Amino acid sequence: MSRATVEETPTVQSSEEGQRSSTQSRSPRRKSQWVRLGLLTAGALAFLFPFYYMLVGSLQEDPNPSLSGAFPNPSNVTLDNYQAINSSISLARSLVNSGIFTGGVLLGTLVFGLLAGYALAVLHWRGRGAVFAALVLVQIIPFQLLMIPLYVMIVRTYGLADSYLGMIFPFAINSVAVLIFRQFFLALPKDLFEAARIDGASELKILWRIAIPLAKPAILTAVILTFIGPWNEFLWPFLVTKDQDLQPLAVSLANYISNLAGRAANPFGAILAGACVLAAPAVAVFLAFQRHFTSSDLGSGVKG
Amino acid sequence: MKRKALTTLAIISLGASLSGCGGDSGPSAEEAATANGPIDIWYSNNAEEVAWGEAMVDAWNAEHPDEQVTGQEIPAGTSSEEVITAAITAGNAPCLIYNTAPAAVPLFNKQGGLVSLSEFDDGASYIETRTGDRSAQYLSTDGEYYQMPWKTNPSMIFYNKDIFSAAGLDAENPPLSTYDEFLATSQTLVDSGEVQAAIWPAASSEFFQSWFDFYPLFIAGSGGQQLVENGTSQFNNPAGIDAAMFWAQMYERGLTPKENYTGDSFADGVAAMSIVGPWAIAVYDDAVNWGVVPVPTPDGVSPDEVSSFSDEKSIGMFSACDNRGTAWEFLKFTTSEDADGQLLELTGQMPMRTELPTTYPDYFAANPDYEVFADQASRTVEVPIVPNSIDIWQTFRDAYSEAVIFGEGDLQATFDEAAQRINDLAGEE
Amino acid sequence: MTVTAPAADPQTNERSRRGSRHKAGRQRIGALFIAPYVIFLVAIFAYPVGLAVYMSFHDYFFAAPGAIVERPFIGIDNYIRAFESPAVRQSFGNVAIFLVLNVPLTVVLSLVLATALNAAIPFRTFFRVSYYVPYITASVAVVGVWLFLFSGGGLVNNLLGPLAPQPSWFVNSTLAMPLIAIYVTWKQLGFFVLLYLAALQNVPKELYEAASMDGAGRLRTFMSVTVPGVRSATFLVTLLATITGANLFTEPYLLTGGGGPNGASASPVLVMYQEGIQQGNAGYAAAIGILLIVAVLMLAGIQRLVLGRK
Repeated sequence: MSRATVEETPTVQSSEEGQRSSTQSRSPRRKSQWVRLGLLTAGALAFLFPFYYMLVGSLQEDPNPSLSGAFPNPSNVTLDNYQAINSSISLARSLVNSGIFTGGVLLGTLVFGLLAGYALAVLHWRGRGAVFAALVLVQIIPFQLLMIPLYVMIVRTYGLADSYLGMIFPFAINSVAVLIFRQFFLALPKDLFEAARIDGASELKILWRIAIPLAKPAILTAVILTFIGPWNEFLWPFLVTKDQDLQPLAVSLANYISNLAGRAANPFGAILAGACVLAAPAVAVFLAFQRHFTSSDLGSGVKG
Repeated sequence: MKRKALTTLAIISLGASLSGCGGDSGPSAEEAATANGPIDIWYSNNAEEVAWGEAMVDAWNAEHPDEQVTGQEIPAGTSSEEVITAAITAGNAPCLIYNTAPAAVPLFNKQGGLVSLSEFDDGASYIETRTGDRSAQYLSTDGEYYQMPWKTNPSMIFYNKDIFSAAGLDAENPPLSTYDEFLATSQTLVDSGEVQAAIWPAASSEFFQSWFDFYPLFIAGSGGQQLVENGTSQFNNPAGIDAAMFWAQMYERGLTPKENYTGDSFADGVAAMSIVGPWAIAVYDDAVNWGVVPVPTPDGVSPDEVSSFSDEKSIGMFSACDNRGTAWEFLKFTTSEDADGQLLELTGQMPMRTELPTTYPDYFAANPDYEVFADQASRTVEVPIVPNSIDIWQTFRDAYSEAVIFGEGDLQATFDEAAQRINDLAGEE
Repeated sequence: MTVTAPAADPQTNERSRRGSRHKAGRQRIGALFIAPYVIFLVAIFAYPVGLAVYMSFHDYFFAAPGAIVERPFIGIDNYIRAFESPAVRQSFGNVAIFLVLNVPLTVVLSLVLATALNAAIPFRTFFRVSYYVPYITASVAVVGVWLFLFSGGGLVNNLLGPLAPQPSWFVNSTLAMPLIAIYVTWKQLGFFVLLYLAALQNVPKELYEAASMDGAGRLRTFMSVTVPGVRSATFLVTLLATITGANLFTEPYLLTGGGGPNGASASPVLVMYQEGIQQGNAGYAAAIGILLIVAVLMLAGIQRLVLGRK
């Protein structure tokens, strides 16, 4: 981070406005705007195509792997694949379970993760290096190495089998989110904190009033990241819950895909329909959140 | 401060590990063996077996108010190893798991997870009376039964009559009994352009995939040998090499593709044949006009002499079970003649019981399609119940994948080398 | 848990030299703020990680509580076995191929895309969402489509016609791993784009104006303002991409049927999973896992030297 410059200009602003004004002022830029738009469109199509294909496939009555299968064919369209899912798993119940599991993890990560990230980036205390090292180390350890000992501990030592707490616990504070918080708090101009301290603000207040509003894009990134983990997590909740009334959507759908879809009239369509059902809520949440990524109100956050 | 933190960390983890390893181990084995009371069981989660399991549990619970059974579904998919291993280690495995794979029994046993059924007074005799001569294949190396052979899906060849006719083949008596006939027929099928593949077993490397391509043919070709017998690999003998050469030809000529098919190649009409068990009848009945023949052998033998792979599933009793008296009684209840009859009725899978056609004449009269599978079920061969069995199958699959599917290196040399490693694995205790 | 002290953060050092009047107070607050996270780490990781290290020096397997089993100390035998195993060596080689493709591709593409998305363009929401969708969807859900697209008779080969590779993508020992690397890039890119987008907000617009006043072209502005401006994010992206890549498991497990063809797409975690959970050699699997951790730590150290330096 180019810290020297940041310190000279404590007001952090989106580069977007600056670019917008210069974009409109000169005409050569307009041409490059089109190039940019073209590239972005091509890329977006490449990114979206598999999903489009997934949606089309999930609506097919008979699977069609040829080129024409990439286009919806009215004579081959059906909602049967979705009805098959709806009749074999309790969608509402699974959604609620997913919501509780994901919500618990989000809450833990936002409350304790922000505190930890702030402590790691801004505050001074002995052992900081060790905790940061542990934070990085934790990312590196493959989950498969810990899974069975972790299961034994959660289930036997803590007695949390078949409970939401048992599901949430190993994910309660997302370490990548802590790492992101730390990284972005580090990038904020130090003088802001010093000034607030001189004014007598407590650290908690500085975190709440200055650090968090400034790091809002980073926090939203971390929220999405934290959301994805438990939402899509299959193995752990599957191990911990034998009670089907507690199983989140990912587990129900994975069970459906691996055990029941093969018997459906169009197994491939049934699998794709399952994939769509799992993806839809995550996409919806992202759509609801994404407008907060535009950071035009960032400047006011600093001044206020 | 840092050192202090580390010490605290070490102490907490030590505490956790002590409480993790210690703990009460429940009543002693002798007490548990006769104890009665409520038990948990897991059964697999396909609709037919769930229906059967629920019916069994309800029937039992109505008669035994003090020994209630709670049934739960366990996915039989790729994650069942984690689930069962984790449950054994944590001591919360259920009393009985229906659908325990015989290949996994040595591992669960090594983990101290299984109860020897031979310890029940009538344990061995019950299994041997019900299953007959085939029961010997389910003894562990210490001469005890750690599993109750339950049901089998003997492997046979399903073929699509419509595709055979379209390719100009005799759909009623297809030439499929020798390797040469099978290869020629496959060539005709693919050349006709009716199908992309003659037969399409999964080409991937999971340890169990050989059960559905090489192993049935090896069993048939060798007159009923197991992969490993008396601690010595058998698959590198002439019968094994012949079976491997047969598949190598299928792959080399493009009659069997080297990648997995997403979906069901047989149902989709992409492949003309498939290696299946009796479960297939219900699955394909409406979709495909099918016929069934035994797996091919090098020179062709009479169909009533062909042995095949059992694809059997057992019932395991797990050591976390406190009320083993009830568990054993429930196990016998669910493998009685009546219960087996219901299993047959509901799932079409063959109970591991002698004389199926004469025991259930009404069923086979009403469902003649199943008779050929019932006959095949009397001549099945199991995976060897030896230490490191999953390790052994993975070692074999890796060698097979290299030498047969991808046709690299010398087949005999690759198999000999794998045989050596497998002998070492089978000899370990 | 083994805690290696990292190279001191240069920014931290500089700042502590400058000193602070509230040092004692902040010391207490800092410990208070970090405490829940430290307790979480200890509660969740200390025992399993300690056990993993212990297992790797024993002929260990998981056993029922109360079962009498022998799990003797065998020194570094598990490590020797891992070093000598062709399957393990191949899996580490595979991951090296994966990282060489995936990490640079991820860094370059996500920064370029983030820069493009950071400007005022029409349909910005649409673009952001489309780059993000693969990331928010479970692998279990999307692998089916990729398998379908890249299978022998799939859409991609139909499009390529005579140019289609033989054997097809996922069963081609040369192409399987690179295709997985591309798949993971595609799957994860959205997250890294967002990381960069967040970082770009902190690049002062004055720098762009200055560059523009100097008459710098688009490319030069990008290289001299944007790239250095998001340096700490680049370090984070590189680190996270490396870690995700090193822990590769789901993709070979689902896409190539357990690391095929012939182990050409097996990853260390996949081998570890097969050995430890399917085959019951938990001690050996733990040794593979620890070797992987050491290798990634070394890689992270190198990245820190290269990117973390001013």
